[in-house]
Amino acid sequence: MLVLVTILLPLAAGAMLFALPREDRSVTRTVGVAVAVVVVVTLVLAGTSEWSFRWLSRPFQAAFHFGATPTSFWIALLLTMVSACAIAASRVARLRDFVALMLLLEGTMLGLFLARDLLLFALFWDLMLVPVFFGLAGWGEHPATAWRYFIYNFAGGLTLLLATAAFGVIYGSTDVIGRAVTPLVGAWAPWIYAGFAFAFLVKTPVWPLHTWMPPTYSGLPPPMVAVVSAVQSKAGLYGFLAIGLALLPHAVHDYATPLMALGAVSLLYGAVIALVQNDSKRIVAYSSLSHLGLVAIAIGSGNALALRGALVYIIAHGLFSAALFLLLGYVEEREDTRLLARLGGIGWKNPKLAGALCIAALAALGLPGLAGFAGELLVLIGVYQAGYVWPVIVALVAIVLASAYLLRLYQDLMNGPEEADVPVRSDLNWYEALTVAPLLAALVIVGVYPAALWHR
Amino acid sequence: MTLPFTSADWWAVAPVSVVAVAALLVLVADIFSGRREQRYLSVFIALGGLIVAGVVAGRQFGHNYNAFFGGFLAGGFATVFQEIVLIAAAGSVILYAAMGPVARVAGSIAIMLWSACGAMLMAGAANLIMIFLGLELLSLGLYALCATDDRTSSRESALKYLILSSTATAFLLFGAALLFGATGSVQLADLANPSQVSNPLFWSGAGMFLIGLVFKLSLVPFHTWTPDVFEGAPLPVTAFMSVATKAATIAVFARFIYAAVPASVQERLLLPVWIVAGISMIAGNVGMLAQRNLKRLLGYSGIAQVGYILVALAGGTPLGLRYALYYLTAYALMNLGAFAVAAAISRDAEEGAHLHTYQGLARQHPWLAAAMTILLLALAGLPPTAGFLGKILILASSVSAGFVWLAALLIVGTAISLYAYAQVIRAMYAAAKGQPSQARPFVPLACVSAGICAAAVVVMTFYPLTPSNVLPLAH
Repeated sequence: MLVLVTILLPLAAGAMLFALPREDRSVTRTVGVAVAVVVVVTLVLAGTSEWSFRWLSRPFQAAFHFGATPTSFWIALLLTMVSACAIAASRVARLRDFVALMLLLEGTMLGLFLARDLLLFALFWDLMLVPVFFGLAGWGEHPATAWRYFIYNFAGGLTLLLATAAFGVIYGSTDVIGRAVTPLVGAWAPWIYAGFAFAFLVKTPVWPLHTWMPPTYSGLPPPMVAVVSAVQSKAGLYGFLAIGLALLPHAVHDYATPLMALGAVSLLYGAVIALVQNDSKRIVAYSSLSHLGLVAIAIGSGNALALRGALVYIIAHGLFSAALFLLLGYVEEREDTRLLARLGGIGWKNPKLAGALCIAALAALGLPGLAGFAGELLVLIGVYQAGYVWPVIVALVAIVLASAYLLRLYQDLMNGPEEADVPVRSDLNWYEALTVAPLLAALVIVGVYPAALWHR
Repeated sequence: MTLPFTSADWWAVAPVSVVAVAALLVLVADIFSGRREQRYLSVFIALGGLIVAGVVAGRQFGHNYNAFFGGFLAGGFATVFQEIVLIAAAGSVILYAAMGPVARVAGSIAIMLWSACGAMLMAGAANLIMIFLGLELLSLGLYALCATDDRTSSRESALKYLILSSTATAFLLFGAALLFGATGSVQLADLANPSQVSNPLFWSGAGMFLIGLVFKLSLVPFHTWTPDVFEGAPLPVTAFMSVATKAATIAVFARFIYAAVPASVQERLLLPVWIVAGISMIAGNVGMLAQRNLKRLLGYSGIAQVGYILVALAGGTPLGLRYALYYLTAYALMNLGAFAVAAAISRDAEEGAHLHTYQGLARQHPWLAAAMTILLLALAGLPPTAGFLGKILILASSVSAGFVWLAALLIVGTAISLYAYAQVIRAMYAAAKGQPSQARPFVPLACVSAGICAAAVVVMTFYPLTPSNVLPLAH
């Protein structure tokens, strides 16, 4: 029951926020943060308890079945944490509507990660697009971006739907996520897998299905893009873990090479493009494309160690990309631009901002002791153990490139001569620092003790 | 002279009779009512009649009865379709509370109710004569209703509908005559005779009968009249046509393919229909993309939506019929709700049809815009709406029946449709240009209707009512 409360609370609160007066910004934010924090607590209290209610008995069994699995618990925890931080960091126009959308986004995504039924998963898959669509339409820089995001991901959602229907008909039930079920085999399995995989690959995204992603990430306001890049992009990878590997392992194994090849191309392509971007948010967006390619490789390898590493890296990427986007949001808010060419030397007057950005960037480039390193190392060892050498070589090249573009990002913003034409404003205040501190702390904790994630 | 009918026969058509009598009451009450309450009075009498008819029809559910020597089959199948027709009539009649010249409201409502009688007869028709009778009763009313507006386009629409619909009926009638020639019987049940398999008369008759139905369902390639007629007809009539006509025709179609086609020829005979349904899903959704008029947009949308419903029927499984009914009900609610929103924001000549009327609606009427958003997302098949669940049920039934290519076409069509439906949503949430659309006096009733439809569409996701007991028996 508590798990149901966890999902319904942000949804209900988001819907009810529209009843608050529009002008009352601080009340809105307080309510939003309070709800988000309560959701963190209820999620932890709910643990892996389950709640189920029958939905369909024909043409296949389906249920409103919620409950965290050991994997999804950590992703859900990441989601609730990032959401709380992002709502606290929200300072956009029309704040009430924005916070309401953030809560709806959190609720729909919690539904997705806690769903134990494929049909429910498909339902939330489409549903979680809607708040982001309205976020892009209402606060984005270009309306066309909203359409591109929606149509791309809706197309993915439709193949997911078809695959779900086919799976349900063949298997007789969709209430299968996180259960020890006999894998689906037969002539249809590869086609069903193809339907799922297309949706997952669009969402992650991997090259060449990524073209919706850079404009979406650079167009969204920082708090929302923090949630989207940190958690929504993990929906596809979670799908591969919880649906692909669990239900269709043979199909995943048979088509591992294309998956790893796509991951490797994304890894290199994202890194190279990130090197030459001028827009700081786009650097992080392309770095995201690159980093998540590594997880795709890990999933393709199917090695147990690599999969553990994949989970660690999913969490790590969520933490540092959320921190990076929030901090870049603060930079943009102070300097009214996010172009590297027009910024520089901010760090001299803003040591706290510089320090926080430094930790996040170092985590992203894989510095030992921070979460990114732990994930990368486990994935690389695991993939190598599985007998794949070329993806490891590609990944190592990409990691070197990651150091280059992340240090370039940091140095162009924080070091160097101060750009005289931009006004320099105050450093992070305690409230702003508090919105990123939990993320940075979690980066250190997971970096030092990654085993916590699979010892639950 | 005594009629050879028993009271049970009359009881079988009681829902139809109630609606017909309600139409008479509307006309009588209109004579004695003053100008101020005229509009409301007609609407409420009609709604009352429809509700009584709905209750009466509901009591027949599960009691199959073969009335009028096998001409009319009351019971599960007929009841469900009759209820859908009644919902369609109620949802359309309510719109008269918001629009149309007062002097013509009572007459229009009465004709609409009689048209609904025709549709209800079609729902239960079990022989060729009853099918034709119901179809003509339905269509004759609609020809008149299309012309009730003063606009030129309204008359154009009526004429177009008259000519093309008569052509379709001619096909249907000729097909029926050939079928009678082949079997010597007008009963649908007698058509399902395996000995007909090699009879060329049966093949040509069934083929022409199906062409007539496909024409009425406005599937490609017989679809071009639909957007024009929908655009020209008054808004309530468009709403009624988009739901009731399609529901009644699907009822006949379903009964024909489930009960009257011999199992051995089903696959060969019906394959062209499924191909036509597949093309319609693509063509209807592509046609929607360029529309700037809500009525035309929903006209094209209806072409595709009927395609989806036929996908559920492909394969002829009992489960497929239940899913078709689920989706048809959802479609009825979505369309009626969308038209109710259009009526609620309508100005006299425009009838809330042009997309620019919707600009800035979210600022002025946030709840109306929210309802419209839900209804349009439901038409596009997004969760949490009945459109989503209906699509997955249809996909499941078509995949299990082996029509994977139809399922794939459905997916492609849906992907295209999202963009078209979202154009309206985009207009609603965009900033308003020009003067805001004024609300009109009787708007609340239309708003209530839109709200009920939107809520029902969401609730249907969580309570997937797919009645069993609806197999279309023919005898």
